Formats: sequence, structure tokens, C-alpha cells
Amino acid sequence: MTATTHARAVRSADALRGTLLADAAPRLAAAAHLDGGERLQVIDALATVLDGVYAHLPAKRAAYATDPVQALTLLRRRAGDLSDAEFHLALTRIVAGLRDRHTRYTGPTPLHGRVAALPFLVEAYGAGPTFVVSKVTSPTPATSAESAGFPRVGGESPLSRGEGADSAGRAVGELPGDFRAGAEIVSWNGVPIARAVELHADVETGGRPDARRARALESLTFRALDFGPPPDEWWVVVGYRPVGARGGLGAVREARFDWRVLAPGRAATAVSDARLARKLAVDPAGEAVRRAKKMQFSTDLWLADAGDAATAPMQDAVSARALDDRTGYLRLWSFDVQDDDAYLDEVSRLLQGLPQEQVVVDLRGNPGGLVWAAERLLQLFTDGPVLPVRFSLVATPLTRQLADSPFNRLELEAWSPSLQDAVTTGDVYAQPLPVTDPGWCRDRGRVYPGRAVAVVDATTYSSGDLFAAGWVDNGVGPLVAVGAGPGTHATGGGGATVWTYAQLRDASAGTDDPLPALPAGCGLTVAVRRAVRSAAGDGIPLEDLGVAGRPYTMTKRDLLDGNVDLLRFCAQVLGDE
Amino acid sequence: MSGWAIHGRIVTMADDGPAAFSGRVWVRDDGTIAAVTHGTAKGPAELKGAPVVDVGHSLVLPGLVDLHNHLAYDTLPLWAEPTRATPWAHHDAWPRAASYAASTTWPAYAFITACPAELLAYVEVKALVGGTTSTQGSPPSNRPRDGWLVRNVDDESFGTGNRNLVLASVLTATPAVLADRANKMRAGSAFVYHCGEGQQGSVVAREYDDAEAAGCLQPRFVAVHATSVPAGRFADWTDAGAVAWSPFSNLWLYGQTTDVPAARAAGLSVCLGADWAPSGSKNVLGELKVARLVSDHLGWGLTDEDLARMVTSAPGDVLFRAWGRQVGRLEPGALADLLVLDATARATPYRALVRATEDDVRLVAVAGRPAYGEPALLTTALAAAGPAGAPAPTTVRVGARAMGLVLTDPTDGTTPWTWDQVVARLEAVRVDPKHEIEVAQQRGSAFGADGLDATPDLGLQLALDMPTGVGPVGGLPHDLGQVVVPPLQSLVHDADWLASVHGRGFHGGLLDGLGTFYG
Repeated sequence: MTATTHARAVRSADALRGTLLADAAPRLAAAAHLDGGERLQVIDALATVLDGVYAHLPAKRAAYATDPVQALTLLRRRAGDLSDAEFHLALTRIVAGLRDRHTRYTGPTPLHGRVAALPFLVEAYGAGPTFVVSKVTSPTPATSAESAGFPRVGGESPLSRGEGADSAGRAVGELPGDFRAGAEIVSWNGVPIARAVELHADVETGGRPDARRARALESLTFRALDFGPPPDEWWVVVGYRPVGARGGLGAVREARFDWRVLAPGRAATAVSDARLARKLAVDPAGEAVRRAKKMQFSTDLWLADAGDAATAPMQDAVSARALDDRTGYLRLWSFDVQDDDAYLDEVSRLLQGLPQEQVVVDLRGNPGGLVWAAERLLQLFTDGPVLPVRFSLVATPLTRQLADSPFNRLELEAWSPSLQDAVTTGDVYAQPLPVTDPGWCRDRGRVYPGRAVAVVDATTYSSGDLFAAGWVDNGVGPLVAVGAGPGTHATGGGGATVWTYAQLRDASAGTDDPLPALPAGCGLTVAVRRAVRSAAGDGIPLEDLGVAGRPYTMTKRDLLDGNVDLLRFCAQVLGDE
Repeated sequence: MSGWAIHGRIVTMADDGPAAFSGRVWVRDDGTIAAVTHGTAKGPAELKGAPVVDVGHSLVLPGLVDLHNHLAYDTLPLWAEPTRATPWAHHDAWPRAASYAASTTWPAYAFITACPAELLAYVEVKALVGGTTSTQGSPPSNRPRDGWLVRNVDDESFGTGNRNLVLASVLTATPAVLADRANKMRAGSAFVYHCGEGQQGSVVAREYDDAEAAGCLQPRFVAVHATSVPAGRFADWTDAGAVAWSPFSNLWLYGQTTDVPAARAAGLSVCLGADWAPSGSKNVLGELKVARLVSDHLGWGLTDEDLARMVTSAPGDVLFRAWGRQVGRLEPGALADLLVLDATARATPYRALVRATEDDVRLVAVAGRPAYGEPALLTTALAAAGPAGAPAPTTVRVGARAMGLVLTDPTDGTTPWTWDQVVARLEAVRVDPKHEIEVAQQRGSAFGADGLDATPDLGLQLALDMPTGVGPVGGLPHDLGQVVVPPLQSLVHDADWLASVHGRGFHGGLLDGLGTFYG
């Protein structure tokens, strides 16, 4: 073992071990405390932002018959009567009621950048749908609370009291031997799995029922702690039918799995400067979860992010392989890249190494990222012009102030005239303008000469939505929308750039009404610029609607055997073109 | 109360009395003037025994006031669109020029983003070496900056935190905003507003009409440029305020300038402003000479006293209406902002000021604190002004002279800073602006390596106040490698700068005459 490999192994062991959520619970509870005055600060700031900046408020009020500002006003009256947990839950519910993954309340968590995770992934297939385990982690040793830096309660972990064995007598931290990919999930904490997903979907974000279900399914096993409360339970009890020796399913068994807290970090190639951070169209929680999945299920690649990744400098964001001698496969994991030129360089290099007849461009689960990266990429697949998506600010006194502030001139000044005009015209939004200069969408030209089909699902979000919209509206190629169960098959429907409260506060510094500081650790993210489609889809909003494609329902073989049916379907779609 | 005094030929800028007399200005340690006395008469009792710094025949004047500038751009060279053959019509025309953003916005952005403190040091020192103690046009800042190198007219709050004493707008304001400003002026604020900047007969003359309709034509209103305003319209400003006159910039861009005689005839105060470096002089000492050239060329008959007041008592009286504190005059109770100019015993004071160059500046004090000067004199003045323990002056080369400068890090106001450190940092940014911008921007990213950072440390932030130019939404090139920062411009009107005036802009050769002052 080389020194580098050894160092990686050590990092791997430390990081993958994480810590038990149960051990972190006391620290979470202590950090959650806000006194009455601090609660009012949070409520008032949230109300100011939602009423004054939130790009989708008019649409959300109509679509969900909800009024978050009024709800905050009401919460303000009883904020002092609530426990900390009740207060944060009430706030989270108000914000989650917007069904917008861009717009999140961040409680005072000490676990910034952490993700609560179970050691397996559940996915669905078929119209039913059926839920199966699609990935499991390799076993990891049980974690000592001290090694992860969290204090124990009463000197020992709550899980070290002899209560941690499951029905099979398995020790804590180990997976049952028959809990492998392909096992069918039948219950979740004693609730039938379909019902459990539906119940969880009710508190998840996502504009459409199918989008919410997709998010709920994902968050059954992964939750970004920056953007939502930790799981209520410290462990889950899963009922499952294991895969037998001959491939059939065995009798229902139960096992207990502990929530663990991981620190997946951000990729070295992710957006890291303030200028680009204001051009992010991303589900930040989705991005954190994506990284956690990578950490759990593609550990070598996750480790490579921290090491020298010269051989695949953008491996966190893109990969490719040949499916056969005619068809290539390009996987766009994320658009969260600091250097979009390097990203385009790498995608071009990968495309040139693929079979040149046709390519499947897979964006499933892509949570978005830098707007420029997504929109500029389209030109690599088409000879035609590419018109970028356009964005506008909601017309309010606060956005007018922000657009007029000298500190925001390079960022928001272009919207200022139409925001002023909106006072007269009554328009709800400012003029929609591109964030990506149209010239940047044609500065490289086509790289891939063959046909191309893009594949999305309900977790393709934000810049992923922008890419899909550009793909369809500019006639780049067909779009396949993957789903499971009933409902529309489309992208996730995240149509905005997202800012943090800190960015908004910074932007408000030069106005007559600067936003105040929030209590330590509290924050929020909010959709600031609303996206509408261009070209053939001119003017259609992306939020909630997403971009519909040719519907495709996942099969069991897709989940367990490398998407074989999906890729065959894509080839058929391309053949029909 | 303690303090110090300076003895020399005192030029008080009083409305009557001699232009200069041998005497003393007595300075309290609270930064105000306690008394101005003739000859060697005793000072006020409160300053009995105060040390006296004798500057001989040198003129002791109020520190100069620059009522129109845009400091964020003052490291840049003069700019002219290479293909432009005719003067611009108005202020909305030249920002659309092809080379504008790359020549002005982008390099200025590099400095304000990567090294805001060093940028401020450089441009404020550039004002100081020209005898300026108050300047308008500081870049908007996220942190109050009372009392650093020079007074920042837009930010000065005199320790109160009230940053609305003087409001400013470079861009054309809507009628609603103007109406709001009118009411704020009625409540005591001053408003420095770019108004009608363009050629006579151009559409921007309407901005003056809008200002009038909004109720802005008040004593606390400063109309910057007003070059397009028809002569007869100044008379409608019956409750007279002021016009900020920047003849270099006007001639450079439009080939015309403000109708100063008409403004004066209407009772308006005319105050000089150097304007920004891409179309302006280096400081108001330079602008005085431009005013002299223009007046002589157009036969306006402005006297040296008229011009001298445009950088002292005229803007000082305008600011008094908002500040409640006097600058631009040496009189009891006024702020002790002082300029010492080298002069012979028989020199005519106003003429000496108009003809003075940076080489004639011997000492500058702001709020009674010596800030810049000849090393020996600065050391003497610092010893007199106290308190002990102030950082030793750093050396700054100004033209042919090595001068002293009291410089502290603006982040804490006490840590000594050297001029070489300032210049070295600016040069580092200049050499690799792309890298430096990216590094600086990482400070402000709320999406850090450890996830969401609710309170990133943004440090000192400045904003650009001029039009950003034609470009993509976001204002900057996609590839920051296209940002090119030209060499730092010298602090003085040197030969290179004078050469860059010749044959460029739309001044018709008139500004070539500046060479006669700097020979």
C-alpha cells in the first residue's frame, strides 16, 4: 500500500464511519434552542424574504392555497409558547408547504454539511410501484461516539445499552447477510412501504405528486441536515423479502438500521466563489445527498475528489462509457462546477471518445448547479442556435431596492428598469433576461456529430430543468422522462436561481432596509430569480411543471442490471427520430 | 483642551478682509479650529502653551474640497474610445462604447473586489497629494469609514453613524426618487446628483426639468455637470444651491462645459470636482488649472479668487448646510482641515493656489491631524499635534519628492501600513486579476466546503458607482482572464499623463495648455 493509498484508506474509514445520529442527538437538541426574541428575528426575516424576494410566491399562493407570510404572522403570536422542536417544526412546515426545494429554512444545526444516511438505497419500479433495495454499503465497524467528536449521554451511547440487536440477533452496524440489492421492501417502521412513502411525501418538497414521491423515496434513506430537520427516529425497522438462492424472494424478515451522520463534503470542482454562487440553480440538499450517496456507494470515486484526480478531473460531475459500438452513454451527475470551461472541455473530451453514432445523455438525479454550465453544454449536441432560459425577479419594493443598490449593479441592475416600470404596469415580474449570455451558448459549437437523447427524472432539478428545457425547446433531441408509479413523467420542476440568506443580506446592505443578522447558525435558501423557458417553449415557467418527456417506467432489470431496459428504450427512441 | 498651532501666511477664505496675513491657526485636539490670530498674537486661553509649527512664508489654507469624483476608478488612465471621432451627446452614450466596460468597469472591479482597502488608500492619497481633505464620490461601502485618510463627503457622519447627511446619485433618478430626495433635502440632507450631463440641446437637459418638478432645486442640491442646462434655466433655481463643475471631463467627453457665468449670475455656488480618472484630472489642484484655461479661453473673466473659492469656501458652505460643520474656511469652530502650500513672501495667495502643483504641497492635515507632507515638516507637525505613539509616517514618492504619509490599516485604524505594501498589493492584483478576483470571491461564498455558511465573513466591500457598460447580464466577461488592469497611474500630473491628453478626447487642444502649469 502506498502512502497516498494508505492516507485515503484512513480518510475513508474515518469518514465512512460517520457517527450515530443517536449520539449526535444531544448536540442537535442543545443547538436548536432559540429564545423568544431570536424566534421573532427568524420569523420576521423569513417573512420579509418570502414577501419581498421569493420568486414564486404569487404562483405558490395560487397553486397550493397557502399564504406563508400570513402563516408566519400567526406563528409570531405563539412563537414564545412553543418548545424548540415545535417551533422549528412549525417553521419547517410553513416553508415546506411551498413545495420548493430551493426555498428552505435552516435551523440552528451544528451539523453543517452533514447528511443523515441509512446504509442502503431504496428505488421503485413498475406502475405499482414496487420498492426494492438497489444498493447497499459494505459493512463498516460500529462507531465510538468520541471518535466522531460528539458527546455521549451519560457516558455511553444510547445504542450501547444492549437494545441494538435486531430480530436476527445482528450486532449494531452490520447489515443482515440477506439484505442485498434486489430485496423487496414491504414495510417501514411497521407501515406498509407504499403508505410510508406517501406519508413522507406529504411533508416533502416538490411541486407535483410524482416529484414529491420521488423526493420522499430518496429521503427515506438520505437527509441533508442543513436543509431540514433530522429524522425523528434514531433507527428504522425495515420489513423486507430477501432474494433467495434461485433469484426468488424469500419470506418477510425485519431488520433494524441506524441513522448515521456523514460528512460528504463538496467536490473540489464545485462552485466556490461568490460571483458564481449567485448563478446557482441547484437543490442544495439534493447536491449534499448526491455526494453522500457517492460516499456510500462509490467510495473510491468519492475519495478521488480529495486526491489527485488528474485522470478524470471532473469525475464528480460527469462520466461516460460506450454501451456498444454504436452508442455512447454520458452521465451528467451535476452541474455544480466552478470552472464551466473545464467542464465543457471534459464533456467534449469524453464525447469524442464515445461511439459517434448516438449517445444517451443521462441527467437523472442531477440536482443542478451553475446555470452557465448547464446551458452552455447544449451547444455540444446541436448545430442550431441555443437560446438560454430567462429569469426575472418578482416585482416588489424590496427587489426594486436590491436592483437599485450599488452593491448589486453587476448582478441585478439589468432588471431595474422593468422593476420600476412594474409599479406602473402592475406586472408581477420584471422583464425576463438570460443569466447565461446567448453568445456563450454558441462559443464552442457542436462537438458530438451523432444523435442524442436525454434522460431525466423527477429528481433532475433546477439547472437540470434548465438543461432539459433547452434540450427540448431548442430541438436538440428527444427527452425521455423516467418515473415509477402514477403521475406525470417530467423533470423535478425547479425553476429559479437560489440564494442563501447570507447572500441576500449582503445584497441588501446598500438599501434603505438592510436585512438583519439571524441568530447563530440559522439561515435559509430562497428562489430569487424565476426561470421561464425560451425558444419553442417561450414564456412557460419551469417551477413545478418541469419539462415533460416521453414517459418511461423503470423496470426491475433497470434497477438491478444497469438500466438495460431504459437504454434499449432510448435506442428505440433515437431510432424513431 | 489641548492642541497646536500653525504659523504662516494665513488664507482664511473669509468673504472680506485681506486675502492673506501673517498669523496662526489654532487647532484643538478635537479637530476643530479654536482661533485664527494675526501676527504673533496670543492664542485662545484654552490652548495656552500649545506648540506652534512655523511654516514661514508658506500659505496656510483650508484643505481643498473635491465635490465631484468617483474614487473607485482613480487608478485608471484616461479613456477615449479609439474609433470615436465626434463628441458624445450625453452621459448615456459613452458607456455603450465598445471599449468602455473593459477599460473602466472590469479593472475597477478587480481592485474593489480583490483589494478594496489598498484601492482606497491609493486613491485617497492621490487626493491628499493635491491638497484635498474632503472628496465626494467614495465608492459605496458596506462599512462606515469616518475619518480615515480624507473626508468622504458621501459617508461622513462625524461619528454619529448617520450616513445620510449627504446623498448622491450618479445614475438618472426617477421622478419618484427625486421627490424623495427633495423631501430628504428639506429634512436636512444634501443631494449630489448627476444632472443634465451632456451637450447643450441633448435630451438629458430634461433631468434638470425633472429635478425642478420634484422640488429638488434647493440650497442643499448639488447639480453635477449641468452642462446641458440652458443658460436661462439656472435663474429658475431661485433658492440657490450649487453646481459641481468638472471642466476637464466635460471637454474630454463632450467638447463643451457648464455655462459657469450663467450659473454664477443666477446666484449658484460653482464648485470644482476633478471627476474620475478616465475622463478627469488627477485632483482639484489640476482642475483649477483647467478652469483657468477654460475661463481664459471663453473670456469668462473668472478671477483667481473666484477659482480658489470653487475648491474651498464655495463647497464648504454647501456642505455646511448638511453637515452643520464648516470646511473650506479657516475660522473659529470650523473643521481643522489644513493645506500648507510653498510660496514666496510676496506671492499672491489665490494665484499661488491656482498655479500650485503637487510639488508645492508641504503639509496636509485632516481634522487637525497631520496626514501628509514634507518629512521634516510632517514630523514636526505630528510632534506638535500629538498624541505620542502615533505610527511613524511611511514614505511615498510624489513626483520627484519623497514625502511622508501617515497611513494605518483601515480595518483597525491603528496598525501601521506602508505605502510599499499598498502598491505591492495593487500590483499583485493588477498582474493576475483573474486569480485575485476568484480568491476574493471565495470569501463571500455562502456555499462553503462545510455546507451552508449562514454568516460568511465578507470583509470590506465596495461597489462601483458609474455605468457598467454594455455587456452580458452580470456585467463581467465570462472568462475573467479577459479582465486586464492597466498600470497604476501616477499620483501627479506628470509628463506621461500630459502626453496622454494630447490628441485625445474632444477638448480641441485646449487641455494641452495644462503643460504650461507643469513645465
